[in-house]
Amino acid sequence: MTYVLSATQTSSRLGAVIRIPPGVILAFAIIALVIGWSIAPGLFTGFDPAVGVPAQKLLGPSLDHWFGTDHLGRDLYARVVHGTASSVSSAFIAVAIGLFAGGLIGLAAGFLGGWTDIVLARLVDILLAIPRFLLAVIIVTALGFHTLNAAVATGIWEVAVFARVMRAEVIKTRQATFVEAAFLAGGSRWHILLRHVLPNASRSVLPLAVLHFGLSILVIAGLAFLGYGDPPPASDWGLLIATGKNYLKWPWLVYAPALVTIATVLSVNRISRWLRKTD
Amino acid sequence: MQRTPRRRGPLLLPRKAKRPAAVLRRRILVIVPVISRSAGTDRPVSSHREQANFQMLTSSSLFSGTRRRLLAALFATSLSAFAGLPAADLAHAETRQGGDIVFLIDSLGDTWIPNNSAISSFQGHIWGHVTDKLVYVDAEGKVSPWIAERWEQNPTATEFTLHLKSGVTFSDGTPVDAAAVVANLDIWYAGRKAEGINPIGLFPKTYDHAEALDPVTVKVTFKKPTLGFIPTLGYHGSILISPKTLVQPASTQADLGKTAGSGPFVVASWKEGDYVKLVKRKDYNWGPPAVGQTGPANLDSITYKLVSEQSLRVAAVQSGQADVAYNPSPQELKSLKEEGFTVATPRYLGFVDGLALNTKVAPYDDIKVRQALQAGINRQEIIDTVYTPDWKLATSFIQSNVPGATDHSALLAYDPAKAEKLLDEAGWVKGADGVRVKDGKPLSLTLHANPYLATAKAIDELLAQQLGKLGWKVDIRAYDVVTFGEKVRYGSPTVPAYEVSRSFIDAGTVAGILTNANNGENWFALDERDTKLNTLRDQIAGAGSVEARAPLLDELQAYLLSQAYFVPRTQMVQRIYVQSPSLKGETYNGLALASYYTASKVD
Amino acid sequence: MRHAYLSFAGKRLAQAAVVILLAYVFTFIVVSILPGDPVTNVLRNPQNGFSEEEIQSIIAAQGLDRPVLVQLWSSLSSFLTGDLGLSLRSSRPVTTMIAEVLPSTLTLATSALTVALTLAVLIAYGTQFLPKRWGQGLLRGFPSLFLSVPSFVIGLVLIHVFGFKLGLFRVIEPDSAWATFFAAVALGIPVSARIAEVLIANLDQEARQEYAAVARSRGLGQAALFFRHLVKPSLLPVVTVVALSFGELLGDSLITEAVFGRNGVGSLVQRSVATQDLPVLQAVVSLAAAVFVLVNLLADLVYPLLDPRVTLIGPARQSPTKAVETAAPGAAA
Repeated sequence: MTYVLSATQTSSRLGAVIRIPPGVILAFAIIALVIGWSIAPGLFTGFDPAVGVPAQKLLGPSLDHWFGTDHLGRDLYARVVHGTASSVSSAFIAVAIGLFAGGLIGLAAGFLGGWTDIVLARLVDILLAIPRFLLAVIIVTALGFHTLNAAVATGIWEVAVFARVMRAEVIKTRQATFVEAAFLAGGSRWHILLRHVLPNASRSVLPLAVLHFGLSILVIAGLAFLGYGDPPPASDWGLLIATGKNYLKWPWLVYAPALVTIATVLSVNRISRWLRKTD
Repeated sequence: MQRTPRRRGPLLLPRKAKRPAAVLRRRILVIVPVISRSAGTDRPVSSHREQANFQMLTSSSLFSGTRRRLLAALFATSLSAFAGLPAADLAHAETRQGGDIVFLIDSLGDTWIPNNSAISSFQGHIWGHVTDKLVYVDAEGKVSPWIAERWEQNPTATEFTLHLKSGVTFSDGTPVDAAAVVANLDIWYAGRKAEGINPIGLFPKTYDHAEALDPVTVKVTFKKPTLGFIPTLGYHGSILISPKTLVQPASTQADLGKTAGSGPFVVASWKEGDYVKLVKRKDYNWGPPAVGQTGPANLDSITYKLVSEQSLRVAAVQSGQADVAYNPSPQELKSLKEEGFTVATPRYLGFVDGLALNTKVAPYDDIKVRQALQAGINRQEIIDTVYTPDWKLATSFIQSNVPGATDHSALLAYDPAKAEKLLDEAGWVKGADGVRVKDGKPLSLTLHANPYLATAKAIDELLAQQLGKLGWKVDIRAYDVVTFGEKVRYGSPTVPAYEVSRSFIDAGTVAGILTNANNGENWFALDERDTKLNTLRDQIAGAGSVEARAPLLDELQAYLLSQAYFVPRTQMVQRIYVQSPSLKGETYNGLALASYYTASKVD
Repeated sequence: MRHAYLSFAGKRLAQAAVVILLAYVFTFIVVSILPGDPVTNVLRNPQNGFSEEEIQSIIAAQGLDRPVLVQLWSSLSSFLTGDLGLSLRSSRPVTTMIAEVLPSTLTLATSALTVALTLAVLIAYGTQFLPKRWGQGLLRGFPSLFLSVPSFVIGLVLIHVFGFKLGLFRVIEPDSAWATFFAAVALGIPVSARIAEVLIANLDQEARQEYAAVARSRGLGQAALFFRHLVKPSLLPVVTVVALSFGELLGDSLITEAVFGRNGVGSLVQRSVATQDLPVLQAVVSLAAAVFVLVNLLADLVYPLLDPRVTLIGPARQSPTKAVETAAPGAAA
């Protein structure tokens, strides 16, 4: 078994890139579908997500209504599809905030060192010391109950995570022989930063970003579940699950959006793992 | 309290004792009015309460089993009536004693400082069992004696004299005497603001002082005529608390276990955000005669348990793990009823659920737009979609059970054609996307979902659908209670429509709230601009009797609705109960709060 | 070495104190930005019918309209003397309120950690024994799956299957043994994934080490190799992941408590956030930060004692916590 493992390890990088496992292909297909839903929801469903037929409330899944209908007679599939954009983009915003702000902080702390490092590291320590949900709930209350604000709140916690990893990577790269050599050769700080440190550090930060994209979907869904999301008739996935739990006699209202969420996050995680391995 | 049974008892006895047991059931119905009249009421009892009493008595008779025992019990009943005991005790003697119930509630509120929590929709349940009030107000707004046995007022309604029942004690042993009542009146009026003990919001601001004339007589003086004083005593925050508790600092008052009331139950244990367990007070003997019982409660204990998930509360009652679930989803009521559960949707005395329109915000300064909104709402569809047939269509802007409410259904008919015509006339033209536009601005309506009404979001979503068809662009905002209180206020430029939920003491006080005169709340941002409304308001305030006031109130209702200042949605049911069939005999007061003082378990 | 260790410990302890204090101030600042007043919830209930003037007079009477800095100063000075003050929402002492709910959350968090560890160990060690083709693939997929399911969905499913369908526990008694167990499962599953990931990564890494190859060449069987050589080194990094996860467990208990209706720190936070109960929030955040910092400090201090390969003196002064993070980026999440 161990021999098989090491065999995979030694297989050429080129080969790994070409040979994409079927699981990863499926993951990419799901992500493509989700992106499709969020860009052009109208192409995937003819139903209006906000307007339903009250007389057709709480119907089970059928050929007409793939995921059934909700308490106001709205097509649940349409609501899931139309809620995708907000669910996905909010996670994207959260990761973007974490990646850029956290990346910058980590870069500055790791590259400059000294007092900058000490001050920034303490800041990051505070953020990391406060449990993610606790921090997010307090921040989202301060900003107002909105999915966008939930995304910002999630992003603020991500800042700490990215800053920490970025800093560690930068320090590691800085001490690498080739960087020391570049310094000795008289390369400018900026040149070294852009040319050597950043590309090397980003190699481990990018898979992390993909992973945290999936995680952010879950955190934002959790915030929506607790009631810190968009007002109706928004149909973010977490919001749909939260509303669905009030109608447990009609379980598809919970299971349909839950399965979509799980499939999406699972695909994102799969891609992240694959990125890390092929790297 | 008048001891009327003494006169009526003998009349009843010979007739009853001779009847065969087979017709006993019908006979039991006869007892009901007797009990009610003994309570000193002069109007026939409400059908609602009659039914509750009937339920209670029949269920207990079912329980008691054999006919012989039934007959014996009834005989004893008649005998004691003859002996001059309070008739209410008769029902009590027959009801199954003992039993523990679990009431699942969605919140236990914020604080337990009595003044700050008595009006709460949640803590109010506990206070209703732990404390008594000076008077009782039933579901039809009728005031009857309780701790105050009778009362008088001077002709100008500035001085009231309350005569208290004697022998009543708080659970800490302190007597409920005139001095205790004075201490309560004082803290209701003023609170202790610096400490965080608020005054009672609805207590008359015209209060001057109260004095104890003797241990059972209190004289209350007001600065101005205050006709609403007596009903206030049966409402909301007017719960009697031991003076020993009242002198404690806020942090001690906040500990529910240290607070003493005089009610039929006492707090056995509690944990914040978790549960409150009440146990019966065995020496309780001063219940409100209007509920047909004055002795100790039948149940041994009531546990209010916090279960914040709506579906879990209902499922727990369905699976027999609890007896009552508060605020279930209206969607589930139909199937719950079919499964044999008792569903109660009592209405409080107050405003219906509706929108108070801000006449300073365009386009709602235009009467045609307001009237289009009034005609463009399909109220029946709200009941069909969000609710069940247990909900009633609004007939006015006040609930139809309020004394003085009149039927104005014609003004609230759904007429989309009329609404479209009104909007056309007002110059709002439908664009390509179906939204009406005037001067480049879309016809918009922002709704702020009422955080005090669980179904508010669903109704707003439905309204958005209904109005969307007519060319409205409806935005819905949902805030938590704090943000709502901060951002959403009557007359605010960002709030074209305020979702009202409010109970009130007396229809006479309604007119005062609507404008800004005398610290009114200026619901429609009319200030003093509508002279007709001002005239009606002043006439209602100055009316000398209920009879003189009635036509004025009727006119006010018609006027507000035809001007479409107020756009009703449905009659308000803020409290919904699902109850196990084995629990019977509960009563609902004018606040739609359930009391299990009279309830018993039959299994 | 001993001196270095002590100075390392002293420095980390001082850092911990600073972080806790800053967390307190941070909460004050964030909550102060919130619109509205904490007493609004009670005062603005429409049933009260208070006029705006009355509301303002009550707010002023309680000193809630003082400048923010004055309020921060008075709150900070009492915090330093150990006085957490009275809740603005319930008027009860904050210490009493936290003491009431803390046992429930600690029980849940430790049970969840036990569940997570058990699951993680089963999965990770399982990968070493199951046949490669389907068994390993399946087991190695678990952490990924566990990380993709929202814990509230797991909770809802558990409640409905075991609470209602099978009747194993009464939903209205969330503190009963079974209910606590299932809540711990819902809370522990995502955490088990992180621990399992690190465990698997370490087992794989150790199995590739020279000494493992040597042992194997001497004819040591897989089981013997595993128990004699792989278990102990693979467990070391778990100490750090567990320490990191503990803070997360406290935070995520917010959701699990909401789903299962448990009355713990999480539900106290939800009630307090809704009413802007600043004293309670500050106390809870500082407490959570303290727990997180101290648990991690403990892990950092224990780590070098367990594994002689870890040195504290190095140019990057990298704590072992960070070392794990770089090894498996998912672990810190």
